[in-house]
Amino acid sequence: MELVELKEKLKVQIIEYLNLIDVKPSDINDDEPFFGGDLGLDSIDSLELVVLLEREYGIKIENPQEGRKVLIDINHMANYILENQN
Amino acid sequence: MYIKALSCISPQHTFDGDFFKFEPIDYFSKQVEAIEPNYNELIPKGLLRRMGKGVRMGIGTGITLLKEYPNVEGIIIGTANGGLEDCVKFLNQIVEYKEGTLTPTNFVQSTPNAVAANLALMTNNICYNSTHVNTGLAFESALMDAFLTLEEQAGPLLVGSLEEISSYNINIDTLKGWVKSDDETLSLLTKSNTKGSVPGEGACMFIIDKSKENAQSFIRDFSQITTKDENVLFDFFDRFLKNNNLSLEEVDGFMLGLNGDSNCNYFYDLFINRYIQKETILTFKNCVGEYPTSMSFAVWLSTELINGNNIKLVEYQAPKAKYQRILIYNHYFGLQHSFMIIEKPI
Amino acid sequence: MDVFVTGFGVISALGCGVDENFNELKENQTGISKAIFFESSFVDVFPFGEVKKSTEELHQILDLTLNSSLTRTDLFALIATQEAIKMANLSREEVSSFETALITSSTVGGMVETDFLYEDSNLLSTGSPFLFSYGSGAHTQKLIEHFKFQGYTDTINTACSSSANAIMMGVKLIRSGKVKRAIVGGTDSLSKFTINGFNSLQILSKKNCSPFSSERDGLNLGEGAGYLVLESSEVVKDKKLYAKIIGYGNSNDAFHPTALSDDAKGVIDAMKKALISAKIKEDDIDFINMHGTATENNDRTEIIGIKEIFKKIPLFNSTKSYTGHTLAAAGSIEAIYSILSIQNNLLFKSLNSHNPIVYNPLFDSNIKNIDVKIIMSNSFGFGGNCSSLIISKI
Repeated sequence: MELVELKEKLKVQIIEYLNLIDVKPSDINDDEPFFGGDLGLDSIDSLELVVLLEREYGIKIENPQEGRKVLIDINHMANYILENQN
Repeated sequence: MYIKALSCISPQHTFDGDFFKFEPIDYFSKQVEAIEPNYNELIPKGLLRRMGKGVRMGIGTGITLLKEYPNVEGIIIGTANGGLEDCVKFLNQIVEYKEGTLTPTNFVQSTPNAVAANLALMTNNICYNSTHVNTGLAFESALMDAFLTLEEQAGPLLVGSLEEISSYNINIDTLKGWVKSDDETLSLLTKSNTKGSVPGEGACMFIIDKSKENAQSFIRDFSQITTKDENVLFDFFDRFLKNNNLSLEEVDGFMLGLNGDSNCNYFYDLFINRYIQKETILTFKNCVGEYPTSMSFAVWLSTELINGNNIKLVEYQAPKAKYQRILIYNHYFGLQHSFMIIEKPI
Repeated sequence: MDVFVTGFGVISALGCGVDENFNELKENQTGISKAIFFESSFVDVFPFGEVKKSTEELHQILDLTLNSSLTRTDLFALIATQEAIKMANLSREEVSSFETALITSSTVGGMVETDFLYEDSNLLSTGSPFLFSYGSGAHTQKLIEHFKFQGYTDTINTACSSSANAIMMGVKLIRSGKVKRAIVGGTDSLSKFTINGFNSLQILSKKNCSPFSSERDGLNLGEGAGYLVLESSEVVKDKKLYAKIIGYGNSNDAFHPTALSDDAKGVIDAMKKALISAKIKEDDIDFINMHGTATENNDRTEIIGIKEIFKKIPLFNSTKSYTGHTLAAAGSIEAIYSILSIQNNLLFKSLNSHNPIVYNPLFDSNIKNIDVKIIMSNSFGFGGNCSSLIISKI
């Protein structure tokens, strides 16, 4: 899958998994930080994102340290998916 | 204890006050669902996105009162089941994903103390915080906790209840025989004589205080007993009246929890035959259906009646201009019984 | 009005009954191990503080024929309550008196029967025997039926501080004069529901938990029940008295659904309220039974709170290193362990506290022949619920 396409798909999935209210995929910039920014996500959301990676992309994140390196923004998450899928 | 302020979300237009302007909404169905307000003004989106219906209703009614009374010294909630729908969702995840990686939000939101916790968090209130889950007496237990808390410290307190309908309790209550097998006309529920009742849902919150300044009603006394024996029950009620030095002639209205269930109606029938005149009967489940903390709706409605707000049309309801004193008797499927005396503050 | 403890009963991973629990604590034997009876795919992943009795054996302890509608949660509650009533020497009349309250608590309740619940709630069955057993308040009905309670009853669920709050509620009822006596406590059993919940939050340890260790990496779940008989000074007469509950405090941390705040505001406020309610100074506390779950967040925050309240940190331990975290039962089980320390002038070693974040002599061994007069016991729960109890020698 192309990176651009993946990023768009990821935004839709994040909105669905986290049940973000009044947020459209176009509202999320690729480099907008998940945590501490306008999105206002917290530690429970990071666990939800781990579930998203496993259920949608078959990628398991076993330890929290690894999660912290990946769950930064759309760019990091999408690149990680491309590197680790199959 | 005095009720200073109150807020209610129910299957009727109680949150916006239209309930007293128009005839109550009638339903013809197997269950009645609460009418929710737009929460955007009340709950930050970041929190709202995680909340199930029960939690939302509890927060919506609670936060409305906390805006008016930001300095409450206790948040005390009664709920038999809390966020049930989230509970089922999490349960289904466990089975579907065979105990794999599961989303924590359903688990966190399913804990019954999520409402008291969220209200504290949203108002940054570190005061006393408790949640009672004593099935059909959960709201009464919260009130008792409020009473004891007010003996030790200043008020006011936020006290209330919430309950949501979910596939979980509808299915389980159906298996128990607590849900009518056919659609029912809600306004006629109290006259129904088939098995089971019509499940409902809702949240009512109250500001409770020791001082009577600006009070809307006065909770003179309340008491509860778990029994299947009518003789034990009536002995208990006689003592309750005696302790309050009250004769039945001094009561203007008897608010009864009649829910149309032929299996347990006899407690109400015996109570009516033994103690009261039919003209003084008031009912409330023909507005909101049956649920474990429906007693809080009875308290809400009694307070409004005492305040002179009258419902346009409710079967059985005696049209009375002014209620000075209402006695509530409710039981949850013939096991957990509850009595309460509510008066106009003097 | 003074509120005395006149009896107590406990069942946990350390054993069935007060004696078995005391012996294991004294010998520093943990009850945490691989689960035998609990069925879950996590049995091979995490150790548990499991009660080492089958459901059949639990029925036998109560002289009950196998009754398929009693869950493990119910059975633990019945066993611990039976022991407490016996120790307090309560007559049938006293148990059934309107002056006797029952304040119990559970988080998982009958949801321990996760698989039956799944079938019943999704209408995949015609109704299992556990239909009336699921709710948080269902075990309360089983206690009422079994012991014929007629007085005031209540069920509390404030997550992991539940039974500490049940004890508080009992003391408040007695002090107000509403009742003369209260049976208080909590019960919880290992369930798929809870284990999967805690696992989804990534706070379970694959090793035996190590409270206050800098190497700690999560908690172990346990199961069990603890119940106490509280009686007012009016009715105890010449009965044997084990301890007094002299203070309590509850606060909300108002920070996060599943974590405590960095500044420990709820923890600190609960302890402050407890000291004020007991009318004592912080120096009067001889020992603290900490919440000490061994999660990174809990232990760090609890120590921050303790440092704020106490100029000199008292002796402390976490008995969760023996029982695992028994959730709603933790507050009452730990209150009972505190009373055992008071009774026996013996403080129990806190296990596995390698490289502790704060040193304390109980990380090395038991302390014997110590006059323990006043104990603080902390319990914190999800939703920021923080409770602190103060228990004193007679």
